[in-house]
Amino acid sequence: MRTRNTTLALAGLLVAAATTGCGGAVTTASNAKADGTYAQIAALPKDQQVAKAKELAQKEGRTLSLYTSMTADIATPIAQAFEKQYGIHVSVFRGNSETVLQRALQEAQAGKAGADTVETNFLEMTALSDNNLLADFNGSSLDKVEPAGKFAHWTASRLNVFQPAWNTDLIKPADEPHSWEDLALPKYKGKLTLEVSDSDWFENVTKYWLDQGKSQAEVDKLWKAIVANSKVSKGHTTMMQFLSAGQSPMEAMNYTYITDRAAEKGAPVTHLPQGGVSKIPAFARPNGVGMIKNAQHPAGAWLFYNWLLTDGQKELVKLGLTPSTKVPGDKSLTGLTLVPFDVKGLSKDDGSWDKKYDALLRGAATTGS
Amino acid sequence: MTLAPTSTTARDDDPEARPGRTPQPAEDRRAHRLLRLLRRPLSLQGLLVGGAVVVVGYLAIVPLGYLIHDTFLSADGSGLSFNAFARAYGGNSQSGEMMLNSLWFALGSAALALVLGTALAYVQVRTDTPFKGLFFAASLVPLIVPGILYATSWIFLGDPSSGLLNSLVFKPLFGSSPINIYSVWGMIWVQGLHLAPVAFLLMVAAFRAMDPSLEESAAMSGANRLTVLRRVTVPLLRPAMISAALLMFVQSLESFEVPGLLGLQNGIYVFTSRIYFVLRAYPIDYGAAGAYAIGLLVIAAVGVLVSSWLQRSSRNFQTVTGKAFRPRPVELGRARPFVGAGVILYFLLTVVLPVAVLVYASLLKYYAAPTRKTLSQMSLANYRAVFDMPLAFTALKNSLIVGVGAATAVMLLTAIVSWVVLRTRAPGRRLLDLLAFTPIVIPGLVLGLALSFVYLRMSLPIYGTLLILLVSYCTRYLPYGMRYSSSAMAQMSPELEESAAVSGASWFQTFRRVLLPLMSGGILAGWVYILVVSFRELSSTILLYSPGKEVLSVLIWEQFENGQFTTLAALGVCMVVLLVVLVSIAYRLGARFGLQSDSAN
Repeated sequence: MRTRNTTLALAGLLVAAATTGCGGAVTTASNAKADGTYAQIAALPKDQQVAKAKELAQKEGRTLSLYTSMTADIATPIAQAFEKQYGIHVSVFRGNSETVLQRALQEAQAGKAGADTVETNFLEMTALSDNNLLADFNGSSLDKVEPAGKFAHWTASRLNVFQPAWNTDLIKPADEPHSWEDLALPKYKGKLTLEVSDSDWFENVTKYWLDQGKSQAEVDKLWKAIVANSKVSKGHTTMMQFLSAGQSPMEAMNYTYITDRAAEKGAPVTHLPQGGVSKIPAFARPNGVGMIKNAQHPAGAWLFYNWLLTDGQKELVKLGLTPSTKVPGDKSLTGLTLVPFDVKGLSKDDGSWDKKYDALLRGAATTGS
Repeated sequence: MTLAPTSTTARDDDPEARPGRTPQPAEDRRAHRLLRLLRRPLSLQGLLVGGAVVVVGYLAIVPLGYLIHDTFLSADGSGLSFNAFARAYGGNSQSGEMMLNSLWFALGSAALALVLGTALAYVQVRTDTPFKGLFFAASLVPLIVPGILYATSWIFLGDPSSGLLNSLVFKPLFGSSPINIYSVWGMIWVQGLHLAPVAFLLMVAAFRAMDPSLEESAAMSGANRLTVLRRVTVPLLRPAMISAALLMFVQSLESFEVPGLLGLQNGIYVFTSRIYFVLRAYPIDYGAAGAYAIGLLVIAAVGVLVSSWLQRSSRNFQTVTGKAFRPRPVELGRARPFVGAGVILYFLLTVVLPVAVLVYASLLKYYAAPTRKTLSQMSLANYRAVFDMPLAFTALKNSLIVGVGAATAVMLLTAIVSWVVLRTRAPGRRLLDLLAFTPIVIPGLVLGLALSFVYLRMSLPIYGTLLILLVSYCTRYLPYGMRYSSSAMAQMSPELEESAAVSGASWFQTFRRVLLPLMSGGILAGWVYILVVSFRELSSTILLYSPGKEVLSVLIWEQFENGQFTTLAALGVCMVVLLVVLVSIAYRLGARFGLQSDSAN
């Protein structure tokens, strides 16, 4: 008898699975209400917006969905700090910036917005904005952000700074690099590591060199020499692991916050030369925040956006990141020579820099560069 | 064969046909088995078999359809186009060279893993070797340790300048540093060791189901041991060996962990470097990604066809027949200590060394080669961090639910489908076999996109729940389940089913009481494999999981992204301990249900 019952149960399960597979209707939950909420807040005088958003967020069920590429050790305290201030629970989806973008796009195409707000890298934020997924924000918190940090439909929340990094046991002060050009020096032969996906760095350095008056031929020669000095690795955090362990002596580029965090744990790594002041042009890539159109919790999204540019900035500083506004006590840029990040060149990019960088690393002939 | 004319399924499906039916040739009879089963669509077996075929077909077709759609539809959506192939393989993509690197790497790894896995399985099942208990760990630990950790451990061991093997063993003893993990050979070594458990699990099941009397007769007829091995043992195991080789070959072609960490260092680019490159750029060129996947699919399809061609005379491999047999261990005699030493060496290389690096790293704040200073700073802080992770237990629970669910569902489905493929002459059964193999070549991200595309548009609550992960894992591990099931099925002679049917058993009774128990070795091996690897599936998980529904692989990825290699190592050590316990419970339970066990020695 038991056999019969299990069999029936099993058959039922299979049938259910089969119908699940074949059936199903298309449902779209277009949420016109969200755009109404955004408009309602935007229309108010700036000093009344926060109060209104708080009031509306209460009606939304005091919850919020955030898609972000912040690492867990940053996303978790950020979500907690926001929750503490407003009593709104943040459920966080974390993924690579590519994953965040793909998921948001997929959901938008199906008309089911899973995210209320998104915080991720420059390139992906630009893509979200280009795909018309983001709603406009006009809160007073924008006043603190420099014009370079304001984009169509999104705003910079933090900066990732590009600098070389090295192991202080293996690179003595006399051998420290002082310019991007230095990476091409023969003394670094076999000592450098390049990251396989750093095409935005490649683009910025190339443009910087060209702007400085170098010819294309000179630039190409420098890159060839740098690649000839280098091994290639995958993932900035993996590379930092090997740098800390003394497995590799120097990285052509890592984000300064990754280097700083490893150094904080006692690893013999740094991105600043002995005097504590680096003259290597530091490109600061903006990461930004945006509100999703058709969101389930638009008022919560508005509050989070506003908070991340005000009180949230202090939380970012506590976590060792570089905020996009001026925050007292922020030391993450000490000793760095900031230069503008080439927003224009990269937002119009159609992937050609990816291709050029990839070909350069493989030693393949580049076409049309 | 005098009983042959009695129709196998007649009892249940066709009561009038019972007495005095004209004998039919065996082939014809088989041809009608499935049809007869399905003639009564509402009968239990009709539902089961039909349902299983439909589900498997559905699971495989969704991602494949998505892939083909994106690959062959031209950019403006107006018609068929092959531009994607030009973008993927043409220009300066160096795809020829990369393909060769890939093939070389995949063939080498599959061959190494096959030789290691088969030799180990033979020693384990068929000889009286000492230390049998160690096989269990040796067969599991490399599977459990996430690829990224396994490869990293080997970098710390085998780096030409600072690797521990070079600096602590070879340099002091021989004065040279011969080991370079950043070579094709290094890649083959790490990938081969990581894959050997796939072959081992399959081959153990195959050896257990093999009647040793065939070998004994050969020996009696004057064949020496080598000849027996070459002419009897190996040919008998062909289905399992081909299955294992095929799986491992395609898996190596498709994996990027080892080539990404070891190969890039010396500019060894493989095929998957291209896929990785295409999938992380924006806008993603889905066409090109699809074109690569279809390239892999062609290779895999050739593999499946060749393997079924090699198994065309299926009677040759059917070693499980109506005759009772008891596998008797070969006495190793004087070779016993050497084999024992080999076992210990293998255990040291695949389990002790990498796990020791992990344990060592898990006690540090950041990885550094062992010195007095680093040794004095060791602490258990990383383990505390693991247990303090707010999501650790939720993730563990979710991983267990999805892993056990996927392993069970896949093995049940594939047991039935492999019966359809191997035992019936149903039209399209080859296609079904091929279809069930396709998910292996679909990049994880593409699978994730395909699933979210479908389930976002479905009113059933699947997207955003654990169910979508279950669907994803069932799809991803279908090819593995299929290989494990069909190699077990291929060893079984139909005469067992026929005798069951003659004795009045229904199809379902036969399946449950005869086939499943006899296949249980292969099925349990497949189940264990899927459970273990599902704990580390990330490429589709990362797109499909939802907040609050995290699984362990998401946590691993987070630690990795945070740059917490040492915490990750602690998590890895915990996973090894946990899964070893889990799987040994599974084997104990399996033993209770009549699975032969020969690990006690």
